[in-house]
Amino acid sequence: MSRTILDVHVLQTVPPSNINRDDTGSPKGAVYGGVRRARVSSQAWKRATREAFKNVLDPAELGTRTKRVADLVAERIRELDADIPYAEALELAAATVAAATGSKIEKPKRRKNDEEDQAPESSYLMFLSARQRDGLAELAVQGRADIKAFLKDPENKKRAKQIANTGHSIDIALFGRMVADSSDINVDASAQVAHAISVHAADIESDYYTAVDDRRKDDEPGAGMIGTVEFNAATLYRYAAVDVDLLSANLGAGLRDDQPPSEPVRRAVEAFVRCFVESMPTGKANTFANHSLPDAVIVKLRDSRPISFAGAFEAPVPQGRENGQVAEACRRLRAHIASIEDAYGTAEAKTWLLRVGEATEELEQLAAPLPLDQMVKEVGEAVAARVETSA
Amino acid sequence: MSVLLLQLAGPLQSWGASSRFARRSTENAPTKSGLIGLLAAAQGRSRGDGLGDLAGLRFGVRADQPGVRVRDFQTAHHADTGEAMPVSERFYLADAVFLAAFEGDGALLEELHEALNDPVYLPYLGRRSCPPARSIPLGVREGGLEDALNGHRWLAAEWYQEKRKREPEVELGAWIDVREGETAHHELRDLPLSFAPEHRRYAMRGLEYTRVTVANPQGAPPPPVPAHDPIAALGGE
Repeated sequence: MSRTILDVHVLQTVPPSNINRDDTGSPKGAVYGGVRRARVSSQAWKRATREAFKNVLDPAELGTRTKRVADLVAERIRELDADIPYAEALELAAATVAAATGSKIEKPKRRKNDEEDQAPESSYLMFLSARQRDGLAELAVQGRADIKAFLKDPENKKRAKQIANTGHSIDIALFGRMVADSSDINVDASAQVAHAISVHAADIESDYYTAVDDRRKDDEPGAGMIGTVEFNAATLYRYAAVDVDLLSANLGAGLRDDQPPSEPVRRAVEAFVRCFVESMPTGKANTFANHSLPDAVIVKLRDSRPISFAGAFEAPVPQGRENGQVAEACRRLRAHIASIEDAYGTAEAKTWLLRVGEATEELEQLAAPLPLDQMVKEVGEAVAARVETSA
Repeated sequence: MSVLLLQLAGPLQSWGASSRFARRSTENAPTKSGLIGLLAAAQGRSRGDGLGDLAGLRFGVRADQPGVRVRDFQTAHHADTGEAMPVSERFYLADAVFLAAFEGDGALLEELHEALNDPVYLPYLGRRSCPPARSIPLGVREGGLEDALNGHRWLAAEWYQEKRKREPEVELGAWIDVREGETAHHELRDLPLSFAPEHRRYAMRGLEYTRVTVANPQGAPPPPVPAHDPIAALGGE
């Protein structure tokens, strides 16, 4: 079986900051290779990536924005069960969408010379993703015998609402969804995001601060308040893997006839690579302004299994090296990659590289460097080609 | 009889046997349910599919590098309303390495070994955010579970082996399924009956704790104490 798995590896230096803190306000940490490391949790970077999607993805590209939602869902109903007449499908669709969204779905006023009944319309434009459309259609088919009674059942009404309440389906397709009381609409995540870990040992430092009361009287010297803020600085190894096959299944085929079936997956993969690379969790950003971008990004397209390169840094990168920690981290990463790929026969994986500065030069042994836009475009095209051939 | 050997190593792992609700802990070693989930996922089984053949395999795990427990505090907010969701605590084992083994029919184990090299679902060490840092499958070999756990080389990281270099041999903890009919001194509810989302079910599993002694490749005898007679410095009359 040939699979399509995308690995994204990032080396990123973050200046003094407190990106992701625990309930005591300290930066999160972990132990690896016998020493304490800085850590940014998987959830924090998933949320940052998800927020970054808003700048990159137009929801309309992922589905259909229309008033004719009943018609849209009715077509899908007939794809699921060709025995259902179109008129009945419309009724089922209208009832289901109404239950799901609370919106009235009514036939538009008849105009002069209209030869046939028009499909019912919602009172405002609605956005339906492929997943939502599929889900509502399947629910409608289940309740076909008596759609009104079916949707009066609180459980079914709740399911309808949850199907519709999925907003941007790309982030659910990537990061999954778990609903404890309606497990049938759970979505398995197709992306794994590892906790980002520093390549070196990292201590927590603290900053003692005072604030002066501007309206204090001269006979009241001293601070109005005092406190400490904890922080650390780190060069992080960040890693994510995307199961493109599962992502494709989660997204479903494109809705538009003028687009290839691989289009939703290509868009999702491009968005994920760009946003995972460029995003930064916002913890204490106003205090530290830690707006850095990665020093190096390596993307690999594999056909069997994902491979994390965290092992390259199990021995922590020591301090005090020429060119700082990034250069030594890149040297170890390159050596580790060569060793892993030789040992497990994965050296032929397609590889893309983005890098910044002299310290990352050693990584050029992996691939020719590209700017981000070019890398994202090429990765998207390669993924689409793989999806097309396996479809 | 054959044994499938697995290596579980990464910056973080988490193996819950009784984790529910807001506090999600981890056991000190991988659970049978977690690893059977790993095998089933590699084979592409859906959550509702049967697990009988996998659960029937006899299971053992050796703690080559016990690791350090790490607590992760997690908050979440509703994206639209901003309402705070309940906070949760999740526990991980950091810096741990385990050798796990399944004993059973050779053909099934070979099949599982192949699946782990080419998994249908992305593998992880208990949690999706814990990808393995080393390759998981180590191979299938003839013999029994105890022999495999006793005989396999020590998988701990080099720095850890170096740290214990005073010990030419190291003693490692291991947990092994009791044989049919034997009395179990320990029990853990991690024998999976079903992973179906609407009704996940686990049974009690009897296990035995034992110690395994393996060679330390970094082991070196302490250097001989140099001869030294402090009395001589005092001089004698």
